[in-house]
Amino acid sequence: MFRSIAFALLASVAPVACRQAESSRHVDTALRDDFGASIRIPATPPQRIVSLNPATTEILFAIGAGPRVVGRSQYDEFLKPARAVPNLGPALRPNVEAILGAHPDLVLLHAGAENEAAAGRLRQAGIAVVALRIDRIEQFERDARLIGRLTRDSVPATILVDTIAATLARVRAATAGMPRPTVFMHAWERPLIAIGGGSFLNQLVDIAGARNVYEDLPQPSAVVTLEDVIRRNPDYVMVSPAAAPALRSSERWQALPAVRAGRLLIYDTLVVGRPSVTLGEGAVSLARLLHPGSVH
Amino acid sequence: MIDFRDVAVRYPNAEQDALSGVSFTAARGSITAVVGPNGSGKSTLVRALIGRMAVSRGSIQLDGQPVDEIPRHIRAQRIAFVTQREELAFPVLVNEYVALGRFPRLGLWRVADEQDRLAIGKAMAEAGIESLRSRRLDALSGGEWQRVRLARALAQGGDALVLDEPTAFLDVAHEMGVFELLDRLARGGRAVMLVSHQLNLVARFAATLVLLRQGAVVATGSPGEVMQATTLERVYDWPLVVTNDPLVGAPALVPLRARPTD
Amino acid sequence: MSPWRWLLLVLLLFAACVAGTVIGTIRLPLSVIWDGVRGVGDPNSMMVIRNLRLPRVSLAVLVGAGLGVSGAALQGTMRNPLAEPYLLGVSGGAAVGAVMATSLGIGAALLPLAAFVGAIVAVLAAFFVAHAAGSRGDPRVLLMAGVVVGAFANAAIMVLLANAEPNAVRNALWWMMGSVGEATWSQTGWLALYLLIGGGALVVVGREIDVLALGEEAAAGLGLDVDTAIRRVFLVASLVAAATVAAAGLVGFVGLVVPHIVRAAGIRRHRALLIGSALAGATLVVCADLLGRVLRPPAELPLGAVTALIGVPFFLAKLRRLT
Repeated sequence: MFRSIAFALLASVAPVACRQAESSRHVDTALRDDFGASIRIPATPPQRIVSLNPATTEILFAIGAGPRVVGRSQYDEFLKPARAVPNLGPALRPNVEAILGAHPDLVLLHAGAENEAAAGRLRQAGIAVVALRIDRIEQFERDARLIGRLTRDSVPATILVDTIAATLARVRAATAGMPRPTVFMHAWERPLIAIGGGSFLNQLVDIAGARNVYEDLPQPSAVVTLEDVIRRNPDYVMVSPAAAPALRSSERWQALPAVRAGRLLIYDTLVVGRPSVTLGEGAVSLARLLHPGSVH
Repeated sequence: MIDFRDVAVRYPNAEQDALSGVSFTAARGSITAVVGPNGSGKSTLVRALIGRMAVSRGSIQLDGQPVDEIPRHIRAQRIAFVTQREELAFPVLVNEYVALGRFPRLGLWRVADEQDRLAIGKAMAEAGIESLRSRRLDALSGGEWQRVRLARALAQGGDALVLDEPTAFLDVAHEMGVFELLDRLARGGRAVMLVSHQLNLVARFAATLVLLRQGAVVATGSPGEVMQATTLERVYDWPLVVTNDPLVGAPALVPLRARPTD
Repeated sequence: MSPWRWLLLVLLLFAACVAGTVIGTIRLPLSVIWDGVRGVGDPNSMMVIRNLRLPRVSLAVLVGAGLGVSGAALQGTMRNPLAEPYLLGVSGGAAVGAVMATSLGIGAALLPLAAFVGAIVAVLAAFFVAHAAGSRGDPRVLLMAGVVVGAFANAAIMVLLANAEPNAVRNALWWMMGSVGEATWSQTGWLALYLLIGGGALVVVGREIDVLALGEEAAAGLGLDVDTAIRRVFLVASLVAAATVAAAGLVGFVGLVVPHIVRAAGIRRHRALLIGSALAGATLVVCADLLGRVLRPPAELPLGAVTALIGVPFFLAKLRRLT
């Protein structure tokens, strides 16, 4: 009988003992990630990082933490340096088992509602999880610096952020005095989705010297109707290469003067598609589309 | 007019014939009643007649012509069939309903002409339902509804009328009314054939009885000939007597109470 | 049937079409709209009218007419007031076709074709299942076979969506909620052809449906080849329904409710009922599309969502009549 009591006491003490050992592996900060969870910086620099978000993966490689990335999402396929990194599955509702199998000490997730459960389970397993939602340029700047701090690459991170900021400032200055055309940014066809005021794309277009006709919408994107787009009568339609042919050949879209006049601007999705390392190039490419010859 | 010649019918996947060796004739100008206990094959006989079931042996003939050689719509022009029960999901008016009786005679585009309209009027007159012409079907009493169905059958314009349990749910007055009508129609020259479990009632009106048991004909003939106590007891498997009241004018089957077991 | 009632039906449809053309996110004065319809005047407005509003209203008319005719024909043939055009697995099959197309990333232009093929496959599968079960056109067996096919289709959709990219899922869900917002004139043309042929065929056999409505035995007694007649109606009605689904996605309740409304107006014989249901169905869908456009500007409520709302008062009314 005494043996079982002793065993029970030991069993109840063990988790506490483990947690104490864990907390010595992390340093709490006053920072919170985009799920509201407090961010704990690993006591030792993370050597096995899993990044399930193209934006953060790109940042990691740009600040020199690439060799320490041991897992990525299937969406990061298009990032050349990330191709060699093992694909751990989807970025939304991630495969927790696959992540655990990579034995990470830091996991970066997209802070969407579908990932809350996974984040919870990874934290329970004692792994440092940071969930980030990067919609706007300032969020990118904050998060790039944060990631640099987490991986002990603060210097490269600061250089990255500052370089991009400088490019953005240069583009803004170059297009400052020019007439600002209005633009409709076509994100998806069925249903018709427009980029709204809450998106980094909106900011890039603004920097590049134009105005998004849907800048009044607070969300990053929203479902709209074609008649409403016609009502706002944009000077240009900005569209991805994949969607452009459909727009050109569609009877309905002919009702929009910009399409009828052929004023379609096709953006390079690889450069402009994410609020990350390519923000500077993105602004430059948009400025070249909108104001040819203004920026080098 | 309707001739059953050694007809046998078997349901698919059945081990036994539902009807075997059935032979009788339903002649013009009289009422022929097919009677028998439940499961004796009465309904099967009707189904075979209207072509819903295939005849495996023998043949059913209409004025000498095998029924399955007659195109459906021609057959419907010559024999009118009144089912046991009809439940219309969507009520129509009486005159629209009777008009459906002309369907077998309508051409490709199914448009009614003056001849059709006359026939409909005549049918309604014969069945005595002219006053009901604009009533909705679901607003009729049982007896009225049955007369309306008869009118539709009459509108088909044929010589033969086949009815399956025509008075099953009717009270005495309506029962007698329907049968008096059938009697009039038979006297007018039609061949009226009906299937009924109400032996006593049909015995009053039918010139010929066809008594079925387990798919075979046990007896054919006038009610007096067929309704013998020994035969009936065997067929209905119940103790009974056959009475014959001169006022009634036809034999009647009276089942006896079950004898208490000692 | 009194000519005044027909006139009323036609006028209602006309009024709905006018409303559908005149009302929209962009406010256009009536004179500009009339110019646009005729093809003169300001090219911008003309484009909006001719490329957006008119195709949309036309497609709504055709979809509503097709669903109305199909529903009325099936209700009469099955003698069931709750029968509706998607009975034989049409909606399930079409959805599977559409979801497969979006999952495989097939272009948007082929989506209607995929949906149509899916619907036809489902209908044929239902016939096959019924035949294998030994039926000879018995509507109840066909109905059950349709339920079986529909259940299989639902399972297939879930499997496909579970493994699909989020964008494909969004595409598929949006399609399933039904819309005439992407109407093009060529789509409208195809649907008009199907409706003319299919709907026309149903009207021609309208008298047969009157006879079928009496019941199978009575119909056989009147000389109708019942099994063939039922199969014919099922096939043609399902074809028309499949064509509407291919063009506009899933639009529920129209085929169910419209025949009841037309019957309540006193139209009973099926030829007239089918034509009346076409007119009333067209009016209903045009109005539903209009409602979807004005209820929550600048966004649109999907057509299927608005028509689903019709189901509520309809069933409530039926319930009250039962008790």
